[in-house]
Amino acid sequence: MEEYNLKTKVVGVDISTESTTYAIVDIRGNILAEDSFETSDYPDVNNFVTALSEKIVVLVEANGGYETIRSIGVSSPSASSVTGCLENAPNLPWKGVVPLAAMLRDRLGLAVGLANDAHISALGEYTFGSAHGMQNFVIISLGVGVGSCFFSAGHEHQGHHGFAGEFGHTCVVDGGRECGCGHQGCLESYVGAVGIVKTAKELMAESDKPTLMRDLQKLSPRTIAQCCDQGDEMAIEVYRRTGYMLGIGLANYASVIDPEAIILTGGISHAGKWIVDPAYESFESHVFGNLRGKVRILLSKLDNRERDVLGASALAWSVPEYSLFK
Amino acid sequence: MESVDQIKTRVVGVDIREVKTTFALVDIRGEIIATDYFNTTDYPDVSDYVTALSEKIIMLVEENGGYDKVRSVGISAPSGNYMTGSIENAANMPWKGVVPLAAMLRDRLGLAVALANDAHVTALGEKAYGSAHGLKDFVVVSISHGGLGSCIFMDDKPHLGVDGFAGEVGHCCVEVNGRQCGCGRRGCLETYCSDKGLVKTVEELLAEGEPSALRDLKNISVQTVTYYCDQGDRVAIETFRRLGFMLGVGLANYASILNPEAIILTGDMMQAGKWLLKPMRKSFEEHVFHNIQGATRLLVSILKEGERDVLGASALAWDVKEYSLFK
Repeated sequence: MEEYNLKTKVVGVDISTESTTYAIVDIRGNILAEDSFETSDYPDVNNFVTALSEKIVVLVEANGGYETIRSIGVSSPSASSVTGCLENAPNLPWKGVVPLAAMLRDRLGLAVGLANDAHISALGEYTFGSAHGMQNFVIISLGVGVGSCFFSAGHEHQGHHGFAGEFGHTCVVDGGRECGCGHQGCLESYVGAVGIVKTAKELMAESDKPTLMRDLQKLSPRTIAQCCDQGDEMAIEVYRRTGYMLGIGLANYASVIDPEAIILTGGISHAGKWIVDPAYESFESHVFGNLRGKVRILLSKLDNRERDVLGASALAWSVPEYSLFK
Repeated sequence: MESVDQIKTRVVGVDIREVKTTFALVDIRGEIIATDYFNTTDYPDVSDYVTALSEKIIMLVEENGGYDKVRSVGISAPSGNYMTGSIENAANMPWKGVVPLAAMLRDRLGLAVALANDAHVTALGEKAYGSAHGLKDFVVVSISHGGLGSCIFMDDKPHLGVDGFAGEVGHCCVEVNGRQCGCGRRGCLETYCSDKGLVKTVEELLAEGEPSALRDLKNISVQTVTYYCDQGDRVAIETFRRLGFMLGVGLANYASILNPEAIILTGDMMQAGKWLLKPMRKSFEEHVFHNIQGATRLLVSILKEGERDVLGASALAWDVKEYSLFK
C-alpha cells in the first residue's frame, strides 16, 4: 500500500582524483553497502558515467533493490551545486564544463544532487559528525590542497560565485614561497603536503644535524610524522613550523568569521599533536582578543573515507524526489 | 592532547506523557544507547518529579558511558512551550499553572535543556530520523491517547503560530451540529477520528441493530475492532470506513490550505491498517482541491511508536546551545 511505501535509502558518491567510492546509506547514516573503482580508468566522461551508473545499479540490486532508493548525492572537486556541473577541474581527467548531475539522472532515472567536495565534507560533519548541532563552524581539509567550507547560521556559505572558502590561497607571507596558483606566499605552500616536504628539505639543508628524515626513502607528511613519533627533533621542528603557519591562517579565518568551532580533517590532520599543539598556540597568540580561548579546535571524528560518502548521502536528501519509474 | 577539544556525542531525550515518562540516551545518528521509564503519576508534586527525573537520568547516564559525554537534554511534554521552556496550564497533567520545567531541570543537571510540546517534537523526530527526512513542507498527524493533534513544518521549520497553538486540526469542524466535543463545541474532527470517536461510532452502528461480534465485547479499542475487521465483521469494517471517511475530509481541508508534500500519520490508530487507510485515501482525494489531487503523499510513519518522541526530543536537544556547569 502506498501509505507504507517510503524510500528510506539514498546513494552517496564520492569522486576524488584517484578513486570513486559509492555507497548505499540509510536515513541515520548507516552505510549498508559500499564499493569503489579507479577514477582514472575512465578518461572519457561518457564512459565514466556509464560505468558509474552500471556499478550503482549492480550494488543497489544486490542490496534491497532499485525501488528502495530515493535519490543520489555526488561529491566532486570543482563541482557547482548551482549548475550541477563540474567546472574546469584542474585535477580530473575531464576538461571544460561537464553536466554530471544531468548525465547521471538521465541514466539512472532518479534525482541527483551534486556539490563540491569541501561543501560535502562540511555537510557530512554537520549531519553525522563533529559539527552536529552547530550553526556556525569551519571545516578545514588538510591534504595535497588546503580547502575549507564554512557554515553560517546553519547553512553553508558559498559566496557569490561559489568559490568561498579558498583558505589555502590566502597569503601568509608577503613575497613568500611560490604557489601552484601563480601567487607567492599562499598558506597552502606552507601547510599543504608539498609545503611540508619543502620545509623538511629546507631544514635538512640548513644544518648537518642528524635526523631520521635523511634516511627516508620517501619524504611525505606521513613519514615525517612517523619520525616525530620516534622523537626526531628536526621532524618535530618541521611540524612546529607548519603548525605555526596554520595557526596564523586559522586565527585570521576565525577573526573574520567568528565560528563556534574549527574542525580539522584530511591526511595531514593525522599528524595529531605534532601539528595541532603548535597550531593552537599560534592560533591563540594571533586571534582577535575577544575570541581568545573561545573557538574550539576539533579533530574530525569521522573516518576520512566515510565522511564524503556520508556527506553526499546527506546532500541526496536535499533534492526533491523524482523517479522515472513511478 | 590538550589543545584539541572534544565534542560530546550524546544527548538525553525525555518524553513526558500523562501516564508514563520515558527517557533515553541517544547518539548523533539517533541510535538509542539506553532507555528507561517511570510513572509520571507517581509524582503529583512537580519538585519531586524533577528530583526523580534528574536522579534517574544521572543513573542511566553514569551506567552508560558517563555524564561528561552528554551535551544537552531535550524534553517533549503536552502543553510544552518552546519559547518559555515551560509546561503551561496542561489540561491532563498533575501539575497546574505554568511550570518552568526546562529551567528547573537545568538547575539540577547543570546541562542545557530544551523543551517543546509533544506535537512539535513528534514532527522533529520524523524529520530527523523518520518519514519526513529530507522534506521541507509537511504535516505530522498524531492520533492516539484520546486526541488528534498535528504539527506543521513550513520551509524546513515548525510553524507554531502566534501563540503556539497552530496545528489543532482535531478541533476543526467537519460536521455542523455534530457530536459533542470535550472542548465545548460540536462536530470537531476529534469526536469522529480519535479512539473515543471510534467507540461512539461502534455504539451508533450497533444501535442500528446489525448483528456483530462487537456487541458482546467489553473493550472496544482500535486493536479489537481491527481484529474483527480481519474476521470479516461488517460493523467493524463499517466503523473504520466511517472513521476513514471523516479523517479524509479533515486531511483534505488541511492539505487544501497548506499544500504539503506529505501528511505523515502516527499514533495507535494506525494499527487499523488498510481498514482505515483505504477509505481515508478515497475520501481525501474526493475532497481535496483538484490541483493537488493525487499530489499529496499520505504516509504511515516508519518510526516505532515507543521511540518516535524520545528520538524527537533528542533531535531537539541538539538545537540548544551547549552549556555545562562542569567545564
